[in-house]
Amino acid sequence: MPINSIISLLLGGFAAGIFGGLLGLGGGALLVPFLVFFFDIPMHQAIATSIIGVIATSSAGAVMNLERKTVHIRLGMILEIASVAGAIFGGITANYLSSGTLEKLFSGLLFVTSIIMILRARKHNVKDTVYTDGYLPASFYDETGKKKINYTVKNIPSVMLVSVIAGNVSGLLGVGGGIFKVPAMHILSGIPIKAATATSNFMIGVTAAASAFIYFAHGHLNPFIASLAALGVLAGSMTGVHISGRIQSKTLTWIFAVVLLGISVQLFLR
Amino acid sequence: MTDNFLLSNNLKYKTEYWISRILRICVWISGSLMTAGLFLGISFPSTVIQFLENPTPANIAGRLFSGSFDSSTLMFAGLLFLMCTPIFRVITAIAGFIAERDWRFVFVTGIVLVLLAGEIVYSLFIK
Repeated sequence: MPINSIISLLLGGFAAGIFGGLLGLGGGALLVPFLVFFFDIPMHQAIATSIIGVIATSSAGAVMNLERKTVHIRLGMILEIASVAGAIFGGITANYLSSGTLEKLFSGLLFVTSIIMILRARKHNVKDTVYTDGYLPASFYDETGKKKINYTVKNIPSVMLVSVIAGNVSGLLGVGGGIFKVPAMHILSGIPIKAATATSNFMIGVTAAASAFIYFAHGHLNPFIASLAALGVLAGSMTGVHISGRIQSKTLTWIFAVVLLGISVQLFLR
Repeated sequence: MTDNFLLSNNLKYKTEYWISRILRICVWISGSLMTAGLFLGISFPSTVIQFLENPTPANIAGRLFSGSFDSSTLMFAGLLFLMCTPIFRVITAIAGFIAERDWRFVFVTGIVLVLLAGEIVYSLFIK
């Protein structure tokens, strides 16, 4: 492999990881189009590589989030039952679909993702609504507000339903699915956004692992490409989580949403 | 945040602490294996062998334990280790819940583990 391809793959993974770490996403939304457009990699192989990237993002981010105690492990495990089941179904289905169909589906996913991101960016300054009369009480120390946040979880079945869909999309298209899970946990269950983002980041690795072995068994994993992208993503997500407190995430969300919208159109017209 | 912080708050035996430790170790091991494989592959392209047309965890582990530290084997080993990282975190969570005697969540997390194990068996041995 030429040295410029090696550097490009590392940088592409790094960029996907840094955006993932900053915005609490898996990074797959950026990594898959990057691999398809710049390296002309078949869609199944790009998805397999992205799933490895999602596991890397989740593993690197979860270390820091667990130490900050923002992850709600118990809720994560309940939702994981639905999410993993969805991912297994998605991973199996993907192997029966053509590259072209997956590209069109991915284009649709990016369109929906960018719209959700724009809606979230517009509501960025809305305060958390925390319930104290739900299930699974938990707490964490909010370093920005300098106070302890106590909260409980409501509407678990509704969030489980969203988790099935998120898991299915993850297994089918190689993304983390956090774009669906974070708003569901925040809006439906009343979990503070920091806890929702951290719990989603913790979950996406387990969800991705559920479909990773399916892609591996079908021979879609190129060790050279996947290793380069994974190392880039690992470094990027660690940097992203580290600098997330110092970056204006609202501006970043807008830029990312517009970029995804552009990629969505380009992928659809391909 | 350091281990001292966690210890000073008497959280040593908390599930979060152990999962974060396991994750950190797994990320380092898989990252090191992939880096070593890439370094070998780039420095000595002849070590990139194409034997792994249809790789399985068994033949990758077999080659690793027989001392075949070629580029492809190391990269695949790193990737497989990374893929197993979420499974290790589920197992650690079960151990943590057992230590906390929270049997309800031992059961819940056990279901996640059974689903993952079933999927791996299906992918690697049945499909």
